[in-house]
Amino acid sequence: MIKKILVANRGEIAIRVMRSCKEMGISTVAVYSEADRTSRHVFYADEACCIGPAPSKESYLVIDNIIAAAKHFDADAIHPGYGFLSESAEFARRCAEENIIFIGPSPEAMIAMGDKISARETMIAAGVPVVPGSQEDLQTLERVKEVAEEIGLPVMLKATAGGGGKGMRLIRHKNEIEDAYNTARSEALASFGNDIVYIEKFVKNPHHIEFQILGDNFGNVIHLCERECSVQRRNQKIVEESPSPMMTPALRAKMGEAAVQAAKAVSYSGAGTIEFLVDDHQNFYFLEMNTRLQVEHPITEEVLGVDLVKEQINIANNLTLRLRQEDVVQRGHAIECRICAEDSDNNFMPSPGIIKQLTEPLGIGTRVDNYVYEGYEIPMHYDPMMGKLIVWAVTRAYAIKRMRRVLYEYKITGIKTNINYLRRIMDTNDFLRGKYDTGFIEKNSDFLLKSTYESTKDETEDIAIIAAYMDYILNLEENTPKTADNRPVSRWREFGKRNVLRI
Amino acid sequence: MEIHIGDRITNVELVSKDDNKVVISIDDKVYDLDVVMAENGVCSILHNGKSFNAELKRSESGKSYIVNTLFNTFPVNIVDSQAKYLRNRKKDDSDEQQDRIFSPMPGKVAKVLVNEGDSVEAGQSVILIEAMKMQSEYKVKKDCKIKKILVQQGDTIDGDQTLITLE
Repeated sequence: MIKKILVANRGEIAIRVMRSCKEMGISTVAVYSEADRTSRHVFYADEACCIGPAPSKESYLVIDNIIAAAKHFDADAIHPGYGFLSESAEFARRCAEENIIFIGPSPEAMIAMGDKISARETMIAAGVPVVPGSQEDLQTLERVKEVAEEIGLPVMLKATAGGGGKGMRLIRHKNEIEDAYNTARSEALASFGNDIVYIEKFVKNPHHIEFQILGDNFGNVIHLCERECSVQRRNQKIVEESPSPMMTPALRAKMGEAAVQAAKAVSYSGAGTIEFLVDDHQNFYFLEMNTRLQVEHPITEEVLGVDLVKEQINIANNLTLRLRQEDVVQRGHAIECRICAEDSDNNFMPSPGIIKQLTEPLGIGTRVDNYVYEGYEIPMHYDPMMGKLIVWAVTRAYAIKRMRRVLYEYKITGIKTNINYLRRIMDTNDFLRGKYDTGFIEKNSDFLLKSTYESTKDETEDIAIIAAYMDYILNLEENTPKTADNRPVSRWREFGKRNVLRI
Repeated sequence: MEIHIGDRITNVELVSKDDNKVVISIDDKVYDLDVVMAENGVCSILHNGKSFNAELKRSESGKSYIVNTLFNTFPVNIVDSQAKYLRNRKKDDSDEQQDRIFSPMPGKVAKVLVNEGDSVEAGQSVILIEAMKMQSEYKVKKDCKIKKILVQQGDTIDGDQTLITLE
């Protein structure tokens, strides 16, 4: 049985994993870069070890350093979190060679799912629907025209070696085929040294719905229902919810079964996620599999009452799955918002810096997974996500109201955050009605980025003026030096003492 | 005192203040209030028995605020005599001068795109700054010449640090 786990990650996910470890009586080892000595995951762990300089490439991504730390502290297992080395087959293989349990799937399953084309082939063989498209290399323009005809326009022409939007062309009309074929090929050749292209049906503004799955080392696989992740900005998820407002029990059963088949096709063990595109007619297509814990895993935990990290550890301990498919029943509704250190009023510019004040929301149905604290300096080297706000309530409508409340209660100063942007998402009509797809952010961008304030001339507005005015006056008073060495440490605290605590 | 909230311009005066009991006039309206500043930048105001909470985010200058009340966000600007003076002076300087390139946030220099002595056109990017896995381009506002480049690729920079001077 695992007694000590090294968490090969930082920030909120490192703490999230360690919390479950603490509950299970497992001791924890943190690793950190030179920029992360003050990150809370370092204090939270039982043991901690510096593994290199600030850039991830020289610390969190250095397999040798992490293995050395695990050996030094005698950890029996490594939990990779998400990002960094979590989907590195090489890392998983190396752990096995060093007799350290890697809490995740086998390197073979990672490889099979890591390459988009081979994953697509595996899924077709397993009978999981994929986006309709060509299965062979398209060598001639004639063949491209034929296949495009077969599938039906619009289609997406893609380079097999492609990525990051390069070598990709959308074809809406017949007369665009030739041009798209030539430009996509030359772009692919220039970027990837390979001009092989294939065609996929273009799904416009699909829903992005994913299924959580769990598999053990004995071939048992179950799904833990869906997460709706269509609120995305530049392919980055911002808000997720479960259940999906567009889901029906019949579709859930169908997609869940497909997800289980997909995982079984690669003998998957551990926690994983199958991502699907879903169109308006409830047709769904396999997109990719994430062979790790997802950022948005807490909404599944809240709706099902399951601790996914504990399940991962149990599976790594070679236990059979604790749950059967029929035990998995959704209750109520959960929403997650990603809190990021970025300036949503200024083109989402990253905003690292020192947190001056922090008040986190509390109360019924509230969960905050984060790692920051007052006085902490958010380093500029890593992702701007500083935490996640998760609410649970019995219905979707209540959950949205709860999210609005907790976003109001969340107060951070010193750095810029996207909290106001998230508040506006919770006020967007399409979101309230649950009628949205991946086109949501673009469609509602005017409303979401509304930064000009329109005066209402009501009582609340006057109150806001008064509050600012009073603060300004007090600030003036306090900044007028009485004696040079008598400056208050915190003007709030000082004022509080003078005016609030004097009963 | 002149206070702006969005495009509304108000005249705010402190009529009297006795501990928490504050009387304030906004234009012609007089508010009789109980005001308490609590910790964490929250101002509690009682008005005719109604309880309001305002969360204050003060800018570094101490004169512009973002005020959050329940489900509302207000931009408030205090225009005191100093701000008025600066505003008038700015009007005299017929157009805005840009004599340096700086980043509002800390980061790392990903790439310097120009050389000292280069002539650059309005809107041309001169430096790439990376922070939190995102790159931002910084551009010049007007046609000008690169005077001095004070940083090089890979340098770690602070917010508001001068990176390039222009002439």
